[in-house]
Amino acid sequence: MSPLTITGRDTTTGPVVEVVGDLDYAHATALRQQVERLTLRPGQRLVVDLASLEFCDSSGITALLAARQHAQAAGADIVLSGVPTNTLRVLTIVGLDRVFTIRPDAATA
Amino acid sequence: MCGINQDPEPSGTGDGTGTGTNAVFTALLEDSVEELYESAPCGYLSTLMDGTIAKINTTLLGWLGMDRETVVGRLRFADLLTVGGKLYHETHFAPLLRMRGEISGIALEMKVTGGGRLPVLISSVVKHGSEGEPLLIRTTVFDASDRRTYEEELLRRKQEAEQARAEAERARAEAEQARRQAEADRAQLADALAVLQQSLLPASLPLVPGLETAVHYHTASANRLGGDFYDLFPIDDTRWGFFLGDVCGKGPEAAALTSLTRYTLRAAAFHDPEPAVALTTLNSVLHDRYTATGDPRYCTAVFGIVEPGAEHDQATVRLASGGHPPALIVRAGGQVDSLPTPGGMLVGVLPTAPFTTAEATLAAGDTLLLYTDGLTEARTGPTRKNLYGEEALYAFVAARAPSAPQEVITALTGLLGSFGDGLDDDTALLAFGVPAARPHTLPATDHLR
Repeated sequence: MSPLTITGRDTTTGPVVEVVGDLDYAHATALRQQVERLTLRPGQRLVVDLASLEFCDSSGITALLAARQHAQAAGADIVLSGVPTNTLRVLTIVGLDRVFTIRPDAATA
Repeated sequence: MCGINQDPEPSGTGDGTGTGTNAVFTALLEDSVEELYESAPCGYLSTLMDGTIAKINTTLLGWLGMDRETVVGRLRFADLLTVGGKLYHETHFAPLLRMRGEISGIALEMKVTGGGRLPVLISSVVKHGSEGEPLLIRTTVFDASDRRTYEEELLRRKQEAEQARAEAERARAEAEQARRQAEADRAQLADALAVLQQSLLPASLPLVPGLETAVHYHTASANRLGGDFYDLFPIDDTRWGFFLGDVCGKGPEAAALTSLTRYTLRAAAFHDPEPAVALTTLNSVLHDRYTATGDPRYCTAVFGIVEPGAEHDQATVRLASGGHPPALIVRAGGQVDSLPTPGGMLVGVLPTAPFTTAEATLAAGDTLLLYTDGLTEARTGPTRKNLYGEEALYAFVAARAPSAPQEVITALTGLLGSFGDGLDDDTALLAFGVPAARPHTLPATDHLR
């Protein structure tokens, strides 16, 4: 089990949140809280960079859905970037590959 | 005394020191017996045998604050005592004195003029005449105030110690009571959890004519309500509803979601047993209850209808999946198929979600298996990068095909056990199938018995 590190930075199009480590039951709440503190403006794009994500369970998916809801409430978009193969497979099984906009990496997002 | 009287040089030496010492001795000699009696550091009194006071010294009169005139010849010894002392004197002191002729160290209390009382120690002796007849009683009285104070202090300390002991005992009893209460609370909570858990899963699967069924539920933690669920229940005379799924999260909140999911699906099945419709209903219910209120919660689920054929030689299955791994069908011929339902969305995330229905026919000897991802997400290595996975599951099942439902479940239960600590999530397994056709002739070995 790896600890979860969440770092944020602002770009011209909106905030980028980088998630490193395990997004599981023990740590998913941290991402939810971090994202809920973000102030998003209409038209902005929230990028959740998952390139260094090592594990994601249903709690992690819940946190991603909460982030999506937070963005939508502000009139902003949400993009998942650098989704690891395992997590992409899970997102596809549960149909969320069609709910989230998914980009290869944070730069193209 | 003799030595002093015979001092050869009472004053002749002129030695100042010697003269001073002699003066002290002279003063002692002048201390008459009468003076000694009256001013002794203890009380003296003599009484007639009936107790009438004949003589009393000044020391005792001073202690009692009385005049000699009011005492001598007028009062008896017992009159000087407190009520309690008088009683004790009458019942113990006097009879014992008459019997033994002497008595010593008896604690009594004497009345002091003005209302006080004086604790004393009394010793008495009977003086006899030449013929041995008792003449009078001589009594000494010692002031026992200090001793009484000391005894009272001892008593007080003893009472304090006893009180402290009693308080310690009470505290211990309270702690014991609290411990028992905590244990009772824990037991009650465990009971409540067990009852809740039972409300989330069927106690046992019903008997379905024409179908063999088997199930296994692995709980990751005895103290935690499970987040997986399954059910199998009759819809009408020919059709049976079934579902299996996994809610997000853990603990009581997951259990509440499981409960809502289970009873929504059961109710929806009676309203419209079309699988995609039942999941759509569940999606609306969960979305309105959770996600729409800012608390995204969801489940994955497979919901289906199975209709065994009238001849019990096959069964028709229609099922829809909401974000759940596809069902497996272990064919009688040994082949393993999946029953994909592409596009099935997590249930409860979106206000409207697409669900597609798939259909399959189970022939005799075919077994359909539903599972939750506790099985495929079990760790097979030290990290979460080594998960069991669907490919391994398919290979495991195929290696044992064909298998009846109970055989599949038994083999997978053994597989779950082999994961050890790698299995850290709840896992539900549900299998059903049409029994393989029985051979019409019994094996030869049976004929030989």
